[in-house]
Amino acid sequence: MRRLAWAVVLAAGVAPALAAQGSTAELLGQAHQLYERLEVERALPLLRQIVSPNWPFEVTRDQRVDAYKYLGACLAVAGKRDSAVLYFRAAIERDPFTDLDPSRFTPAQLETFGEARRRTLAVAIRPVQPARVDPRTARVTFIVVATHAALVDVKLSAIGAGRPLSLFQGTMDGVREIAWDGLLADRRLVPPGRYMLAVVGRSRVTGASDSARVYFDVRHEVEAREDTLPELDGRMLLPERISAEAARRDVAKGLGVAAAALLIAGAATGDLGGGERGGADVVAATAAVSGLVAFLVHRRHGAIPENVAANARHRAERDSANASVRARNADRIAATLLLLSPAAGEGTGP
Amino acid sequence: MRAAGVIAGAIFSVGGAAPAAAQRALVVAPLASLAEHRVDAGFGLERSLGPILGGVATLRSGPRFALAVRALGGRLFGSKGVLDRDVGELGVEASVVTAPWLAFQAGAARRAYATKLGRQTWNMVGLGATARTAFAGDAIHGVWRAALLPVVSVSGLRNPDVAYRTAAGLEYRVRTATLGVEYSLERYDFPAQAGVRRREQLAAVTLRLDVRVR
Repeated sequence: MRRLAWAVVLAAGVAPALAAQGSTAELLGQAHQLYERLEVERALPLLRQIVSPNWPFEVTRDQRVDAYKYLGACLAVAGKRDSAVLYFRAAIERDPFTDLDPSRFTPAQLETFGEARRRTLAVAIRPVQPARVDPRTARVTFIVVATHAALVDVKLSAIGAGRPLSLFQGTMDGVREIAWDGLLADRRLVPPGRYMLAVVGRSRVTGASDSARVYFDVRHEVEAREDTLPELDGRMLLPERISAEAARRDVAKGLGVAAAALLIAGAATGDLGGGERGGADVVAATAAVSGLVAFLVHRRHGAIPENVAANARHRAERDSANASVRARNADRIAATLLLLSPAAGEGTGP
Repeated sequence: MRAAGVIAGAIFSVGGAAPAAAQRALVVAPLASLAEHRVDAGFGLERSLGPILGGVATLRSGPRFALAVRALGGRLFGSKGVLDRDVGELGVEASVVTAPWLAFQAGAARRAYATKLGRQTWNMVGLGATARTAFAGDAIHGVWRAALLPVVSVSGLRNPDVAYRTAAGLEYRVRTATLGVEYSLERYDFPAQAGVRRREQLAAVTLRLDVRVR
Protein backbone atom coordinates (compact mmCIF):
# COMPACT_ATOMS: atom_id res chain seq x y z
CA MET A 1 0.00 0.00 0.00
CA ARG A 2 2.83 2.30 0.93
CA ARG A 3 4.61 1.40 -2.30
CA LEU A 4 1.54 2.26 -4.28
CA ALA A 5 1.32 5.63 -2.59
CA TRP A 6 4.93 6.41 -3.44
CA ALA A 7 4.36 5.39 -7.04
CA VAL A 8 1.39 7.77 -7.31
CA VAL A 9 3.38 10.65 -5.82
CA LEU A 10 6.29 9.97 -8.18
CA ALA A 11 4.03 9.74 -11.20
CA ALA A 12 2.35 13.04 -10.25
CA GLY A 13 5.74 14.79 -10.09
CA VAL A 14 7.08 13.47 -13.39
CA ALA A 15 3.90 13.66 -15.40
CA PRO A 16 3.68 17.47 -15.94
CA ALA A 17 7.17 17.67 -17.55
CA LEU A 18 6.40 14.76 -19.87
CA ALA A 19 3.03 16.27 -20.66
CA ALA A 20 4.62 19.64 -21.44
CA GLN A 21 7.06 18.08 -23.89
CA GLY A 22 4.26 15.98 -25.31
CA SER A 23 1.93 18.97 -25.67
CA THR A 24 4.44 21.08 -27.64
CA ALA A 25 5.55 18.14 -29.77
CA GLU A 26 1.96 17.09 -30.26
CA LEU A 27 0.86 20.54 -31.33
CA LEU A 28 3.87 20.89 -33.62
CA GLY A 29 3.02 17.49 -35.13
CA GLN A 30 -0.55 18.59 -35.76
CA ALA A 31 0.72 21.79 -37.38
CA HIS A 32 2.99 19.77 -39.65
CA GLN A 33 0.10 17.55 -40.70
CA LEU A 34 -2.12 20.53 -41.43
CA TYR A 35 0.66 22.15 -43.43
CA GLU A 36 1.19 18.95 -45.40
CA ARG A 37 -2.54 18.93 -46.19
CA LEU A 38 -2.19 22.60 -47.25
CA GLU A 39 -4.53 23.63 -44.45
CA VAL A 40 -2.29 26.59 -43.78
CA GLU A 41 -4.99 28.72 -42.13
CA ARG A 42 -5.53 25.99 -39.52
CA ALA A 43 -1.82 25.36 -39.02
CA LEU A 44 -0.97 29.01 -38.35
CA PRO A 45 -2.78 29.40 -35.01
CA LEU A 46 -1.20 26.22 -33.70
CA LEU A 47 2.29 27.43 -34.61
CA ARG A 48 1.60 30.89 -33.15
CA GLN A 49 0.54 29.26 -29.91
CA ILE A 50 3.89 27.50 -29.67
CA VAL A 51 5.96 30.67 -30.15
CA SER A 52 3.65 32.75 -27.96
CA PRO A 53 5.10 33.87 -24.62
CA ASN A 54 1.84 32.69 -23.10
CA TRP A 55 2.32 29.09 -24.19
CA PRO A 56 2.43 27.31 -20.83
CA PHE A 57 4.52 24.35 -21.84
CA GLU A 58 8.21 23.95 -22.33
CA VAL A 59 9.48 24.59 -25.86
CA THR A 60 12.90 23.40 -26.87
CA ARG A 61 15.15 25.51 -29.07
CA ASP A 62 14.73 23.15 -31.98
CA GLN A 63 10.95 23.14 -31.56
CA ARG A 64 10.87 26.92 -31.49
CA VAL A 65 13.07 27.15 -34.57
CA ASP A 66 10.87 24.59 -36.32
CA ALA A 67 7.75 26.53 -35.38
CA TYR A 68 9.18 29.80 -36.73
CA LYS A 69 10.27 28.05 -39.91
CA TYR A 70 6.81 26.61 -40.56
CA LEU A 71 5.21 29.90 -39.66
CA GLY A 72 7.35 31.52 -42.32
CA ALA A 73 6.54 28.76 -44.78
CA CYS A 74 2.78 29.02 -44.12
CA LEU A 75 2.79 32.80 -44.44
CA ALA A 76 4.80 32.57 -47.66
CA VAL A 77 2.17 30.23 -49.08
CA ALA A 78 -0.49 32.64 -47.87
CA GLY A 79 1.17 35.45 -49.77
CA LYS A 80 2.24 37.35 -46.66
CA ARG A 81 5.84 37.74 -47.71
CA ASP A 82 6.99 40.35 -45.18
CA SER A 83 5.61 38.38 -42.26
CA ALA A 84 7.10 35.24 -43.71
CA VAL A 85 10.50 36.90 -43.91
CA LEU A 86 10.13 38.05 -40.34
CA TYR A 87 9.47 34.54 -39.04
CA PHE A 88 12.17 32.99 -41.19
CA ARG A 89 14.62 35.54 -39.76
CA ALA A 90 13.52 34.60 -36.26
CA ALA A 91 14.31 31.00 -37.08
CA ILE A 92 17.67 31.89 -38.61
CA GLU A 93 18.68 34.08 -35.71
CA ARG A 94 18.02 31.27 -33.30
CA ASP A 95 19.71 28.66 -35.42
CA PRO A 96 21.89 29.93 -38.26
CA PHE A 97 22.09 26.32 -39.57
CA THR A 98 18.35 26.44 -40.33
CA ASP A 99 17.58 25.63 -43.94
CA LEU A 100 14.66 24.65 -46.14
CA ASP A 101 14.63 21.34 -47.98
CA PRO A 102 14.08 22.21 -51.68
CA SER A 103 12.20 18.93 -52.15
CA ARG A 104 9.61 19.83 -49.53
CA PHE A 105 9.16 23.59 -49.99
CA THR A 106 8.08 25.62 -52.98
CA PRO A 107 10.35 27.94 -54.92
CA ALA A 108 8.44 30.92 -53.53
CA GLN A 109 9.09 29.72 -50.00
CA LEU A 110 12.73 29.13 -50.80
CA GLU A 111 13.03 32.57 -52.34
CA THR A 112 11.41 34.15 -49.27
CA PHE A 113 13.73 32.16 -47.01
CA GLY A 114 16.69 33.36 -49.06
CA GLU A 115 15.50 36.94 -48.59
CA ALA A 116 15.40 36.35 -44.84
CA ARG A 117 18.96 35.01 -44.94
CA ARG A 118 20.15 38.04 -46.92
CA ARG A 119 18.69 40.35 -44.33
CA THR A 120 20.07 38.49 -41.34
CA LEU A 121 23.71 37.92 -40.61
CA ALA A 122 24.32 35.10 -38.20
CA VAL A 123 27.42 32.96 -37.80
CA ALA A 124 27.60 29.75 -35.82
CA ILE A 125 29.69 26.70 -35.12
CA ARG A 126 28.28 23.25 -34.64
CA PRO A 127 29.11 21.93 -31.15
CA VAL A 128 32.20 19.71 -31.16
CA GLN A 129 31.27 16.07 -31.06
CA PRO A 130 33.22 13.58 -28.93
CA ALA A 131 35.91 12.15 -31.16
CA ARG A 132 39.16 10.16 -31.08
CA VAL A 133 41.48 11.44 -33.77
CA ASP A 134 44.90 10.29 -34.94
CA PRO A 135 46.44 13.56 -36.13
CA ARG A 136 48.90 11.68 -38.35
CA THR A 137 46.15 10.34 -40.56
CA ALA A 138 42.97 12.24 -39.79
CA ARG A 139 41.73 15.75 -39.19
CA VAL A 140 39.34 17.31 -36.73
CA THR A 141 36.45 18.85 -38.62
CA PHE A 142 34.60 21.94 -37.44
CA ILE A 143 31.42 23.05 -39.20
CA VAL A 144 30.84 26.76 -39.46
CA VAL A 145 27.99 28.67 -41.07
CA ALA A 146 27.39 32.22 -42.22
CA THR A 147 23.85 32.96 -43.29
CA HIS A 148 25.00 35.08 -46.21
CA ALA A 149 28.22 36.33 -47.77
CA ALA A 150 30.43 37.55 -44.99
CA LEU A 151 34.05 38.05 -44.14
CA VAL A 152 34.65 35.36 -41.55
CA ASP A 153 37.51 34.75 -39.16
CA VAL A 154 37.67 31.41 -37.34
CA LYS A 155 40.18 31.20 -34.53
CA LEU A 156 41.19 28.47 -32.12
CA SER A 157 42.72 29.40 -28.80
CA ALA A 158 43.68 27.72 -25.57
CA ILE A 159 41.81 29.03 -22.58
CA GLY A 160 44.07 31.31 -20.61
CA ALA A 161 47.21 30.89 -22.67
CA GLY A 162 48.77 31.11 -26.04
CA ARG A 163 48.33 32.96 -29.26
CA PRO A 164 45.16 32.07 -31.16
CA LEU A 165 45.50 29.96 -34.26
CA SER A 166 43.62 31.22 -37.29
CA LEU A 167 41.88 28.29 -38.94
CA PHE A 168 40.02 30.26 -41.59
CA GLN A 169 39.93 33.83 -42.74
CA GLY A 170 37.98 34.80 -45.81
CA THR A 171 34.60 35.20 -47.38
CA MET A 172 32.03 32.47 -47.01
CA ASP A 173 28.35 32.04 -47.60
CA GLY A 174 26.54 29.11 -46.08
CA VAL A 175 27.99 26.06 -44.40
CA ARG A 176 31.69 25.32 -44.50
CA GLU A 177 33.77 22.50 -43.09
CA ILE A 178 37.09 23.54 -41.58
CA ALA A 179 39.70 20.87 -41.05
CA TRP A 180 42.24 21.13 -38.24
CA ASP A 181 45.40 19.02 -38.11
CA GLY A 182 45.67 19.11 -34.33
CA LEU A 183 48.66 21.45 -34.35
CA LEU A 184 48.97 24.92 -32.89
CA ALA A 185 50.65 27.97 -34.38
CA ASP A 186 54.10 26.68 -33.31
CA ARG A 187 53.42 23.49 -35.33
CA ARG A 188 53.42 21.39 -32.19
CA LEU A 189 50.70 18.98 -31.22
CA VAL A 190 47.99 20.71 -29.25
CA PRO A 191 48.56 20.11 -25.54
CA PRO A 192 45.78 18.78 -23.34
CA GLY A 193 43.41 21.48 -22.06
CA ARG A 194 40.30 23.44 -22.76
CA TYR A 195 39.99 25.28 -26.04
CA MET A 196 37.67 27.82 -27.56
CA LEU A 197 36.75 27.95 -31.21
CA ALA A 198 35.46 31.42 -32.07
CA VAL A 199 33.95 32.71 -35.28
CA VAL A 200 33.49 36.37 -36.09
CA GLY A 201 31.68 37.45 -39.22
CA ARG A 202 31.06 40.79 -40.90
CA SER A 203 28.34 40.89 -43.53
CA ARG A 204 29.41 41.88 -47.00
CA VAL A 205 25.75 42.77 -47.69
CA THR A 206 24.60 44.74 -44.66
CA GLY A 207 27.84 45.41 -42.79
CA ALA A 208 26.39 43.78 -39.71
CA SER A 209 28.59 41.66 -37.44
CA ASP A 210 28.02 38.50 -35.48
CA SER A 211 30.10 36.07 -33.50
CA ALA A 212 29.81 32.68 -31.90
CA ARG A 213 32.03 30.37 -29.92
CA VAL A 214 32.14 26.80 -28.76
CA TYR A 215 34.31 25.16 -26.16
CA PHE A 216 35.84 21.76 -26.13
CA ASP A 217 38.36 19.75 -24.18
CA VAL A 218 41.42 18.01 -25.63
CA ARG A 219 43.10 15.07 -23.97
CA HIS A 220 46.02 12.94 -25.13
CA GLU A 221 45.99 9.19 -25.42
CA VAL A 222 49.64 8.08 -25.32
CA GLU A 223 51.16 4.66 -24.78
CA ALA A 224 53.12 4.56 -21.51
CA ARG A 225 56.67 5.78 -21.98
CA GLU A 226 59.88 4.04 -20.87
CA ASP A 227 62.23 5.49 -18.31
CA THR A 228 65.75 6.31 -19.44
CA LEU A 229 68.69 4.81 -17.60
CA PRO A 230 69.86 6.88 -14.65
CA GLU A 231 73.03 8.93 -14.61
CA LEU A 232 76.17 6.92 -13.91
CA ASP A 233 77.38 7.77 -10.47
CA GLY A 234 80.71 7.01 -8.86
CA ARG A 235 79.70 3.55 -7.72
CA MET A 236 78.93 2.46 -11.27
CA LEU A 237 82.20 3.68 -12.78
CA LEU A 238 85.73 2.47 -12.39
CA PRO A 239 88.26 4.89 -10.93
CA GLU A 240 89.89 6.76 -13.80
CA ARG A 241 92.82 8.06 -11.81
CA ILE A 242 95.10 6.33 -9.38
CA SER A 243 94.88 7.73 -5.92
CA ALA A 244 97.99 8.92 -4.12
CA GLU A 245 97.49 6.16 -1.59
CA ALA A 246 97.32 3.50 -4.33
CA ALA A 247 100.49 4.92 -5.87
CA ARG A 248 102.23 4.64 -2.52
CA ARG A 249 101.09 1.06 -2.21
CA ASP A 250 102.97 0.30 -5.43
CA VAL A 251 106.23 0.88 -3.61
CA ALA A 252 105.18 -1.56 -0.91
CA LYS A 253 104.18 -4.16 -3.46
CA GLY A 254 107.46 -3.85 -5.30
CA LEU A 255 109.33 -4.20 -2.04
CA GLY A 256 107.13 -7.19 -1.17
CA VAL A 257 108.15 -9.04 -4.32
CA ALA A 258 111.79 -8.09 -3.74
CA ALA A 259 111.63 -9.32 -0.19
CA ALA A 260 110.06 -12.59 -1.28
CA ALA A 261 112.80 -13.22 -3.86
CA LEU A 262 115.53 -12.49 -1.33
CA LEU A 263 113.80 -14.60 1.30
CA ILE A 264 113.59 -17.58 -1.03
CA ALA A 265 117.23 -17.19 -2.01
CA GLY A 266 118.13 -16.81 1.65
CA ALA A 267 116.41 -20.06 2.47
CA ALA A 268 118.46 -21.70 -0.23
CA THR A 269 121.72 -20.43 1.07
CA GLY A 270 121.47 -22.59 4.16
CA ASP A 271 122.91 -26.07 4.02
CA LEU A 272 123.54 -26.07 0.26
CA GLY A 273 125.43 -22.81 0.26
CA GLY A 274 123.36 -20.67 -2.02
CA GLY A 275 121.14 -20.98 -5.01
CA GLU A 276 121.41 -18.56 -7.89
CA ARG A 277 121.63 -15.72 -5.41
CA GLY A 278 122.56 -13.27 -8.13
CA GLY A 279 119.32 -14.06 -9.97
CA ALA A 280 117.33 -13.40 -6.83
CA ASP A 281 119.09 -10.08 -6.45
CA VAL A 282 118.24 -9.15 -10.02
CA VAL A 283 114.57 -10.03 -9.55
CA ALA A 284 114.48 -8.17 -6.21
CA ALA A 285 116.07 -5.08 -7.69
CA THR A 286 113.71 -5.20 -10.66
CA ALA A 287 110.71 -5.45 -8.36
CA ALA A 288 111.84 -2.61 -6.12
CA VAL A 289 112.58 -0.34 -9.08
CA SER A 290 109.27 -1.26 -10.72
CA GLY A 291 107.39 -0.29 -7.58
CA LEU A 292 109.24 2.98 -7.32
CA VAL A 293 108.78 3.83 -10.99
CA ALA A 294 105.10 2.93 -10.81
CA PHE A 295 104.76 5.24 -7.83
CA LEU A 296 106.49 8.12 -9.57
CA VAL A 297 104.67 7.67 -12.87
CA HIS A 298 101.29 7.28 -11.30
CA ARG A 299 101.80 10.22 -8.98
CA ARG A 300 102.52 12.39 -12.01
CA HIS A 301 100.12 10.88 -14.60
CA GLY A 302 97.53 9.12 -12.54
CA ALA A 303 95.22 8.18 -15.38
CA ILE A 304 94.18 4.54 -15.80
CA PRO A 305 93.63 4.20 -19.57
CA GLU A 306 91.85 0.85 -19.27
CA ASN A 307 89.38 2.24 -16.78
CA VAL A 308 88.95 5.43 -18.78
CA ALA A 309 88.19 3.32 -21.84
CA ALA A 310 85.87 1.00 -19.88
CA ASN A 311 84.00 3.97 -18.42
CA ALA A 312 83.75 5.59 -21.83
CA ARG A 313 82.38 2.32 -23.18
CA HIS A 314 79.93 2.14 -20.28
CA ARG A 315 78.81 5.72 -20.88
CA ALA A 316 78.45 5.10 -24.60
CA GLU A 317 76.35 2.01 -23.94
CA ARG A 318 74.17 3.99 -21.57
CA ASP A 319 73.85 6.87 -24.03
CA SER A 320 73.00 4.43 -26.79
CA ALA A 321 70.37 2.72 -24.64
CA ASN A 322 68.91 6.08 -23.67
CA ALA A 323 68.87 7.19 -27.29
CA SER A 324 66.91 4.06 -28.13
CA VAL A 325 64.51 4.71 -25.26
CA ARG A 326 64.08 8.30 -26.37
CA ALA A 327 63.48 7.18 -29.95
CA ARG A 328 60.86 4.69 -28.83
CA ASN A 329 59.26 7.32 -26.60
CA ALA A 330 59.32 9.81 -29.48
CA ASP A 331 57.56 7.22 -31.64
CA ARG A 332 54.94 6.78 -28.95
CA ILE A 333 54.51 10.51 -28.57
CA ALA A 334 54.26 10.86 -32.32
CA ALA A 335 51.45 8.31 -32.21
CA THR A 336 49.50 10.39 -29.70
CA LEU A 337 45.76 10.33 -30.25
CA LEU A 338 43.59 13.35 -29.55
CA LEU A 339 40.43 12.83 -27.54
CA LEU A 340 37.94 15.65 -28.08
CA SER A 341 34.86 16.27 -26.02
CA PRO A 342 32.49 19.23 -25.84
CA ALA A 343 32.74 21.61 -22.92
CA ALA A 344 30.36 24.17 -21.46
CA GLY A 345 32.55 27.22 -21.19
CA GLU A 346 35.83 28.56 -20.02
CA GLY A 347 37.42 26.52 -17.29
CA THR A 348 40.49 24.59 -16.42
CA GLY A 349 39.74 21.72 -18.74
CA PRO A 350 40.49 18.07 -18.14
CA MET B 1 95.00 -35.95 -0.31
CA ARG B 2 92.46 -33.68 1.23
CA ALA B 3 94.04 -30.66 -0.47
CA ALA B 4 93.97 -32.51 -3.77
CA GLY B 5 90.30 -33.18 -3.29
CA VAL B 6 89.59 -29.52 -2.59
CA ILE B 7 91.46 -28.38 -5.67
CA ALA B 8 89.90 -31.01 -7.88
CA GLY B 9 86.46 -30.08 -6.60
CA ALA B 10 87.10 -26.43 -7.27
CA ILE B 11 88.37 -27.16 -10.76
CA PHE B 12 85.43 -29.29 -11.71
CA SER B 13 82.83 -27.03 -10.13
CA VAL B 14 84.19 -23.93 -11.83
CA GLY B 15 84.84 -25.71 -15.08
CA GLY B 16 81.33 -27.08 -15.10
CA ALA B 17 79.80 -23.69 -14.44
CA ALA B 18 81.73 -21.95 -17.18
CA PRO B 19 79.76 -21.49 -20.36
CA ALA B 20 81.05 -23.74 -23.08
CA ALA B 21 83.46 -22.11 -25.47
CA ALA B 22 83.09 -18.82 -23.69
CA GLN B 23 86.21 -16.68 -23.57
CA ARG B 24 88.45 -19.54 -24.67
CA ALA B 25 91.97 -18.40 -25.41
CA LEU B 26 95.30 -19.99 -26.25
CA VAL B 27 98.45 -18.41 -24.86
CA VAL B 28 101.93 -19.55 -25.75
CA ALA B 29 104.92 -18.52 -23.72
CA PRO B 30 108.52 -19.10 -24.74
CA LEU B 31 110.79 -19.00 -21.75
CA ALA B 32 114.45 -18.91 -20.95
CA SER B 33 115.98 -19.72 -17.59
CA LEU B 34 119.36 -19.60 -16.05
CA ALA B 35 119.26 -22.52 -13.65
CA GLU B 36 121.59 -23.67 -10.96
CA HIS B 37 121.39 -27.23 -9.69
CA ARG B 38 122.95 -28.11 -6.34
CA VAL B 39 123.08 -31.55 -4.89
CA ASP B 40 124.76 -32.91 -1.80
CA ALA B 41 124.67 -36.70 -1.66
CA GLY B 42 127.21 -37.00 1.10
CA PHE B 43 130.25 -36.61 -1.11
CA GLY B 44 130.39 -32.83 -1.04
CA LEU B 45 128.40 -30.21 -2.87
CA GLU B 46 128.03 -30.62 -6.62
CA ARG B 47 127.04 -27.52 -8.49
CA SER B 48 126.01 -27.12 -12.10
CA LEU B 49 124.74 -24.05 -13.89
CA GLY B 50 123.26 -23.50 -17.33
CA PRO B 51 120.48 -22.31 -19.57
CA ILE B 52 117.14 -23.97 -19.93
CA LEU B 53 114.86 -23.10 -22.81
CA GLY B 54 111.30 -24.11 -23.36
CA GLY B 55 107.76 -23.08 -23.72
CA VAL B 56 104.35 -23.25 -22.14
CA ALA B 57 101.07 -23.49 -23.96
CA THR B 58 98.05 -22.45 -21.88
CA LEU B 59 94.47 -22.98 -22.87
CA ARG B 60 92.20 -20.65 -20.92
CA SER B 61 88.56 -21.59 -20.69
CA GLY B 62 86.68 -18.67 -19.25
CA PRO B 63 88.19 -16.20 -16.87
CA ARG B 64 88.94 -18.78 -14.16
CA PHE B 65 90.09 -22.06 -15.60
CA ALA B 66 93.32 -22.82 -17.45
CA LEU B 67 95.22 -25.88 -18.52
CA ALA B 68 98.92 -25.56 -19.30
CA VAL B 69 101.43 -27.90 -20.89
CA ARG B 70 105.14 -27.15 -20.67
CA ALA B 71 108.25 -28.56 -22.27
CA LEU B 72 111.73 -27.53 -21.16
CA GLY B 73 115.23 -28.58 -22.01
CA GLY B 74 118.74 -27.40 -21.37
CA ARG B 75 122.25 -28.20 -20.35
CA LEU B 76 123.72 -27.63 -16.93
CA PHE B 77 127.46 -27.25 -16.91
CA GLY B 78 129.14 -28.76 -13.89
CA SER B 79 131.59 -26.90 -11.75
CA LYS B 80 135.05 -28.24 -11.19
CA GLY B 81 134.95 -32.04 -11.03
CA VAL B 82 131.22 -32.23 -11.66
CA LEU B 83 129.80 -33.86 -14.77
CA ASP B 84 127.75 -31.77 -17.16
CA ARG B 85 124.17 -32.89 -17.34
CA ASP B 86 121.29 -32.45 -19.74
CA VAL B 87 117.89 -31.76 -18.31
CA GLY B 88 114.48 -32.10 -19.90
CA GLU B 89 111.00 -31.80 -18.53
CA LEU B 90 107.40 -32.30 -19.64
CA GLY B 91 104.61 -31.12 -17.42
CA VAL B 92 100.93 -30.42 -17.26
CA GLU B 93 99.14 -28.14 -14.84
CA ALA B 94 95.54 -27.16 -14.23
CA SER B 95 94.76 -23.85 -12.63
CA VAL B 96 91.64 -22.33 -11.20
CA VAL B 97 91.23 -18.74 -10.10
CA THR B 98 89.25 -18.55 -6.87
CA ALA B 99 89.67 -14.85 -6.20
CA PRO B 100 91.01 -11.98 -8.29
CA TRP B 101 94.31 -12.31 -6.45
CA LEU B 102 94.50 -16.06 -5.86
CA ALA B 103 94.68 -19.18 -8.03
CA PHE B 104 95.25 -22.81 -7.14
CA GLN B 105 97.17 -25.25 -9.25
CA ALA B 106 97.50 -28.99 -9.51
CA GLY B 107 99.97 -30.56 -11.85
CA ALA B 108 102.29 -33.36 -12.73
CA ALA B 109 105.69 -33.39 -14.39
CA ARG B 110 108.31 -35.80 -15.58
CA ARG B 111 111.91 -34.63 -15.53
CA ALA B 112 115.07 -36.36 -16.64
CA TYR B 113 118.72 -35.65 -15.89
CA ALA B 114 121.27 -37.30 -18.15
CA THR B 115 125.02 -37.43 -17.80
CA LYS B 116 127.65 -39.40 -19.56
CA LEU B 117 127.30 -42.02 -16.87
CA GLY B 118 123.60 -42.47 -16.65
CA ARG B 119 120.12 -41.12 -16.61
CA GLN B 120 117.80 -40.27 -13.75
CA THR B 121 114.06 -39.64 -14.07
CA TRP B 122 111.84 -37.76 -11.71
CA ASN B 123 108.06 -37.95 -11.55
CA MET B 124 106.40 -35.19 -9.57
CA VAL B 125 102.87 -34.25 -8.57
CA GLY B 126 102.39 -30.80 -7.14
CA LEU B 127 99.66 -28.80 -5.47
CA GLY B 128 100.13 -25.10 -5.14
CA ALA B 129 98.83 -21.59 -5.10
CA THR B 130 99.70 -18.36 -6.84
CA ALA B 131 98.98 -14.94 -5.41
CA ARG B 132 99.03 -11.86 -7.60
CA THR B 133 98.76 -8.22 -6.80
CA ALA B 134 98.31 -5.54 -9.39
CA PHE B 135 100.37 -2.44 -9.17
CA ALA B 136 98.40 0.75 -9.72
CA GLY B 137 97.31 0.89 -13.30
CA ASP B 138 97.13 -2.88 -13.65
CA ALA B 139 100.10 -2.99 -16.03
CA ILE B 140 102.36 -4.71 -13.52
CA HIS B 141 101.60 -7.65 -11.30
CA GLY B 142 103.62 -8.98 -8.45
CA VAL B 143 103.53 -12.77 -8.32
CA TRP B 144 104.19 -15.16 -5.46
CA ARG B 145 104.02 -18.92 -5.92
CA ALA B 146 104.30 -21.83 -3.56
CA ALA B 147 103.68 -25.51 -4.14
CA LEU B 148 104.07 -28.69 -2.23
CA LEU B 149 105.24 -31.76 -4.11
CA PRO B 150 103.65 -34.52 -2.10
CA VAL B 151 104.41 -37.18 -4.66
CA VAL B 152 107.94 -37.31 -6.01
CA SER B 153 109.56 -40.47 -7.27
CA VAL B 154 113.16 -40.51 -8.40
CA SER B 155 114.74 -43.45 -10.14
CA GLY B 156 117.30 -45.13 -7.96
CA LEU B 157 116.36 -43.15 -4.87
CA ARG B 158 113.80 -43.26 -2.10
CA ASN B 159 111.13 -40.63 -2.28
CA PRO B 160 112.07 -37.31 -0.65
CA ASP B 161 110.65 -36.38 2.76
CA VAL B 162 110.39 -32.74 1.87
CA ALA B 163 109.73 -31.33 -1.55
CA TYR B 164 108.49 -27.91 -2.43
CA ARG B 165 108.75 -25.23 -5.03
CA THR B 166 108.49 -21.50 -4.42
CA ALA B 167 108.92 -18.41 -6.55
CA ALA B 168 108.53 -14.65 -6.66
CA GLY B 169 108.50 -12.31 -9.60
CA LEU B 170 106.86 -9.69 -11.71
CA GLU B 171 104.67 -9.65 -14.79
CA TYR B 172 104.62 -6.67 -17.12
CA ARG B 173 101.69 -6.40 -19.45
CA VAL B 174 102.43 -4.74 -22.77
CA ARG B 175 99.31 -4.61 -24.91
CA THR B 176 98.35 -8.26 -25.48
CA ALA B 177 101.68 -9.71 -24.34
CA THR B 178 102.92 -10.27 -20.83
CA LEU B 179 106.60 -10.35 -19.91
CA GLY B 180 107.41 -12.19 -16.73
CA VAL B 181 110.60 -12.33 -14.70
CA GLU B 182 110.77 -14.75 -11.80
CA TYR B 183 113.13 -16.23 -9.28
CA SER B 184 112.22 -19.82 -8.33
CA LEU B 185 113.56 -22.51 -6.11
CA GLU B 186 112.85 -26.22 -5.83
CA ARG B 187 114.02 -28.06 -2.77
CA TYR B 188 114.15 -31.84 -2.16
CA ASP B 189 115.33 -33.47 1.10
CA PHE B 190 115.68 -37.22 0.82
CA PRO B 191 115.60 -39.61 3.76
CA ALA B 192 118.96 -40.65 5.12
CA GLN B 193 120.44 -43.85 3.73
CA ALA B 194 123.39 -45.38 5.46
CA GLY B 195 123.74 -42.26 7.52
CA VAL B 196 123.89 -40.04 4.47
CA ARG B 197 121.17 -37.54 3.76
CA ARG B 198 120.78 -36.40 0.13
CA ARG B 199 119.67 -32.83 -0.52
CA GLU B 200 118.97 -31.23 -3.87
CA GLN B 201 117.79 -27.86 -5.06
CA LEU B 202 117.17 -26.25 -8.41
CA ALA B 203 117.16 -22.45 -8.46
CA ALA B 204 116.40 -20.45 -11.59
CA VAL B 205 115.83 -17.00 -12.92
CA THR B 206 113.30 -17.19 -15.71
CA LEU B 207 112.21 -14.77 -18.38
CA ARG B 208 108.89 -15.63 -19.96
CA LEU B 209 106.83 -13.92 -22.64
CA ASP B 210 103.13 -14.79 -22.78
CA VAL B 211 101.53 -14.12 -26.16
CA ARG B 212 97.91 -14.72 -26.86
CA VAL B 213 97.58 -16.44 -30.20
CA ARG B 214 93.85 -17.23 -30.29
